[in-house]
Amino acid sequence: MNTDDLIFRLSADLAPVRRHAVARRLAIGLAMGALVSIFYVVVMMGVRPDIGVAMHGFPFWMKWGYTVSLSAVAIVMTAQLARPDSGRLRWLWLMAIPVLLLASVGIMELIRTPPGDWLAMWLGDSWMVCPWRVLALAMPIFVGLLWSFRKLAPTRLRAAGAAAGLAAGAFAATVYCVHCPEVSAIFVLTWYSLGILLAASLGALLGPRLLRW
Amino acid sequence: MRASEDTLRALMISGLDGHAGDHSALLRALVPLLRGFYRRRMGDGDIDDLVQETLIAVHTRRGTYDRARPFTAWLFSIARYKMIDHFRRGRRLVPIEGLEEILITEGFEDAACARMDVEQLLEILPPKQARMIRATRIEGLSTAEAAEREDIGESDVKVSVHRGLKSLIVRIQGGGR
Repeated sequence: MNTDDLIFRLSADLAPVRRHAVARRLAIGLAMGALVSIFYVVVMMGVRPDIGVAMHGFPFWMKWGYTVSLSAVAIVMTAQLARPDSGRLRWLWLMAIPVLLLASVGIMELIRTPPGDWLAMWLGDSWMVCPWRVLALAMPIFVGLLWSFRKLAPTRLRAAGAAAGLAAGAFAATVYCVHCPEVSAIFVLTWYSLGILLAASLGALLGPRLLRW
Repeated sequence: MRASEDTLRALMISGLDGHAGDHSALLRALVPLLRGFYRRRMGDGDIDDLVQETLIAVHTRRGTYDRARPFTAWLFSIARYKMIDHFRRGRRLVPIEGLEEILITEGFEDAACARMDVEQLLEILPPKQARMIRATRIEGLSTAEAAEREDIGESDVKVSVHRGLKSLIVRIQGGGR
């Protein structure tokens, strides 16, 4: 096709683009995916029965604090990588803060618990399923973010995929907290993080294929 | 005559606000820029397809342009991505002998861009400071020589250079990415 015709066609029916279009697009994809995950947790897995009591306790907010802050950092990184001129990644180091905070809570726990109970505390009742559930709940959110990326312009596809996977994993873990009754910091630090990392790795693996444009 | 960063950026922002005329003016202005970009790197091959593909990408992904940031940096990031993608798709067709040339033109491109960046940065300074920096830091004159040429005091030269560099540093650290 002639370049002039192409330009003419592209400029016809030009829709204005709002400021913060990237953030809006990511938020919509994330929200749509999260709705599916929330639906799955609430309807299929069930909300933990003692959620009213749990919401007055420390462990619940510790878990949410961890997963929500990881989600926030991951989303900021995803938004950076969604632009072609993403440059140097700022804020990546912020990821260390929730991890270190949770690790220090974990150390306090270990000090207060007799060593004979450490293993039971670390494995909880659900260590075998927890990472896989987080990974599974991350899938709809990851798909939602893939949809967002269809109008975005990542140029570092592996990094963008990893960031989207990380965001999906951390968000999925946030949703999963509503179901999961585990209370120990070292449990969360190990098994939640493992699920989130699995999602990020999957994102890094798939990014170069799925995010091409 | 090539369109400047400021012109392109103004057109881009106006296009984002929905002015179709400015949007098509922008796309038309990009055609020679992109042709030059690809020709320097790939010779005369199938540049036209790539230019059109890049125009489509600029159009469909225009929401990823951040109005506070340089337009050309955004544009050439897209152009570079499209070129790499193009090579990747036709991987077997890329002659290995071409590699050296690509690297050489890349180096040339970087040097040329760096010089343009310096010129652009100096433009934001008062003319006297820019002249003094150019004389002492780029042309390599001594303070005394620069003072003599401009017919001003040596301390005046030093102060101008110092102030100029300082505001450049502030500008780069604060105003950049």
